[in-house]
Amino acid sequence: MLRKSFISLPRLSQLCGVQRRFQTTHAARVESEAEPAVTADSEPEDIAVIEQKILKHPDYFNVHNLFTVRDLFNARVHYGHKEGSLDDRMRPYLYGNRLGHLIFDLDKTAAHLRDALNFVAHIAFRDGIILFFNRNALNSHLVEQKALEAGEFSHTRFWRGGIFTNANVQFDAVTRLPDLCIFLNTQNNVLSQHTAVRDAAKMAIPTVGIVDSNCNPNLITYPVPGNDDSPAAVELYCNLFKEAILRGKRKRRELLGLPPLEEKLLATRRQRKTK
Amino acid sequence: MALRVFGLNLVKTNRSVLQNVCKTGATPTQQTVAPYATEVTVQASPAAVQKQKVSKAMKAYLKRANEHDEFMKTQHLEFQIGKRHLANMMGADPETFTQQDIDEAIEYLFPSGLFDKKARPAMKSPDEVFPARKAAEFDETGRPFHSMFYTGNPNFFQLLHDIVQETNKIHELEERLLRRGNTPDENQKLDTTGFQLMPKDQLELLLVESIADIEYSNFVNSMERLIALPYAYKSKEFIERFLKPLMDQSKQLEIPKPRIDEQGRQYITTYECLRKTARADVTVRMPGTGKISINGQDIFYFPEEKCREQLLFPLQFSQMLGKVDIEANVEGGGPSGQSGAIRWGIAMSLRSFVDQEMIESMRLAGLLTRDYRIRERKKFGQEGARRKYTWKKR
Repeated sequence: MLRKSFISLPRLSQLCGVQRRFQTTHAARVESEAEPAVTADSEPEDIAVIEQKILKHPDYFNVHNLFTVRDLFNARVHYGHKEGSLDDRMRPYLYGNRLGHLIFDLDKTAAHLRDALNFVAHIAFRDGIILFFNRNALNSHLVEQKALEAGEFSHTRFWRGGIFTNANVQFDAVTRLPDLCIFLNTQNNVLSQHTAVRDAAKMAIPTVGIVDSNCNPNLITYPVPGNDDSPAAVELYCNLFKEAILRGKRKRRELLGLPPLEEKLLATRRQRKTK
Repeated sequence: MALRVFGLNLVKTNRSVLQNVCKTGATPTQQTVAPYATEVTVQASPAAVQKQKVSKAMKAYLKRANEHDEFMKTQHLEFQIGKRHLANMMGADPETFTQQDIDEAIEYLFPSGLFDKKARPAMKSPDEVFPARKAAEFDETGRPFHSMFYTGNPNFFQLLHDIVQETNKIHELEERLLRRGNTPDENQKLDTTGFQLMPKDQLELLLVESIADIEYSNFVNSMERLIALPYAYKSKEFIERFLKPLMDQSKQLEIPKPRIDEQGRQYITTYECLRKTARADVTVRMPGTGKISINGQDIFYFPEEKCREQLLFPLQFSQMLGKVDIEANVEGGGPSGQSGAIRWGIAMSLRSFVDQEMIESMRLAGLLTRDYRIRERKKFGQEGARRKYTWKKR
């Protein structure tokens, strides 16, 4: 149900059209758009109606100001793998190569990343479950930590088959599956793709994925071309996704008149509950 | 003027105002605002309301929990009725009929010759019979409580996460101190000799999760890496939660103090010395001359030499031959069972008269271990327990 309503969500870059290139370094003009949730009368609206309304806004959560292309460059997002390992489907996102290493076009990356962040914020606004994936042992602790801080979920371990496709048996109960999967890398190792990419596609769970030059972006709903190995880059992605999620959640709580979200408290409470 | 007129635009610009109002008047239960709020009510009305949704997962869980509660209720009722019947049959007061009385009554009323105790009739409280159910792992919207719920072993992977957290903390500390030119304190160094990491089954009990061998070895590796750090003593508290002391097993068994008899000699009596179907009680008196009496006879109670050797082995092993007197009463079984039972009794009694080192070596020699092997029954269609009849195809 949550997913179906996203069919009408226009892509941020499509709406911004020509100005996409400028968006990357300059703040976009999205502010001028009408506030969709504004109501003249004082009667509180159903949140479901607002959820639908804000889809018309190109960038309701202001995710375009979360980062600049320079931030991406400083975090070494532009480094791809070696030339020989290129997956042909990643060719459109490349800028060129240098000393045998592929270099991503960061303007394209930025546009894709903003789309993805917007989508993530919308899902978080709708109280969706967001699951972070990462199979790189170097970064897995970081990813788990950030997921916890965002009050969301992480799976950075060996993927036992059937967690999505056979969930009710695996968890011994009817289980709510995540509403969004975020892949900080989509490969298990250099040779094989993460099985969860396929399984999420099977279960029609939308995915956001950082795809490096050797990855296949076909099954990812919102692919973001970029370096998926460097800790600096992964930290940047994690912080961006976390911030987008928190923006979505804060907005929801604000509209519902709930007390503001205290991230730290939330994380510790969750931890304590399980102990 | 009621604050209900605040639209979203106002909420956005005057966020601080809204927050202040939230602090004064708003409570988390305020999702449904009374539509009849008068002008004087100072309440921040939310710009939106949410319909309470209960997820399929929670519905299914609640249904199962209800069913389980109902089931347990009927079981409890039946148990109470059964208990009253039993008490009446036994002519006792149903109000003060305890579980022990129930067990005795069942044993009296339904005598059973079945070997396995689990197979005999029993009546227990349903709380004991039916295992406790797992509590829900998610809230009413179906959102799991634990951040690593989808890994299937959230507690275990949380533990691995915590270990890395500790390791990172120590690395950072080390870097800081190194810059200041400090070195780790040798006196505080973490000493783990005499300790071992928690074995897998205990860890599983602690985490309430079953973990695979490879996952356990991951745990061991990361813990060892943490312990090997020069500043590991800084997270001593964390590490010690997963260390178990390696103890001499013979230390754990309590050694009885010898008593004094009328002649002023020390003595120890060990009852219930069992081997096969033999049962013995053995008294060892110190100092003695090596006198041995079994059921009133001397060591030649056992005509076979191997049985006599069995008896003497613990004495000879602990070099107490000729220093103690042995008295034994033995019944049941054959010569080898009887001699084995007495041997165990002598060894157990001798613990009170030798030093700790000798006890440990007696344990390692297997003298203090009860031999649980018993005769295996003959099977029909076979010559014995295992041997088959001679059979030729053609």
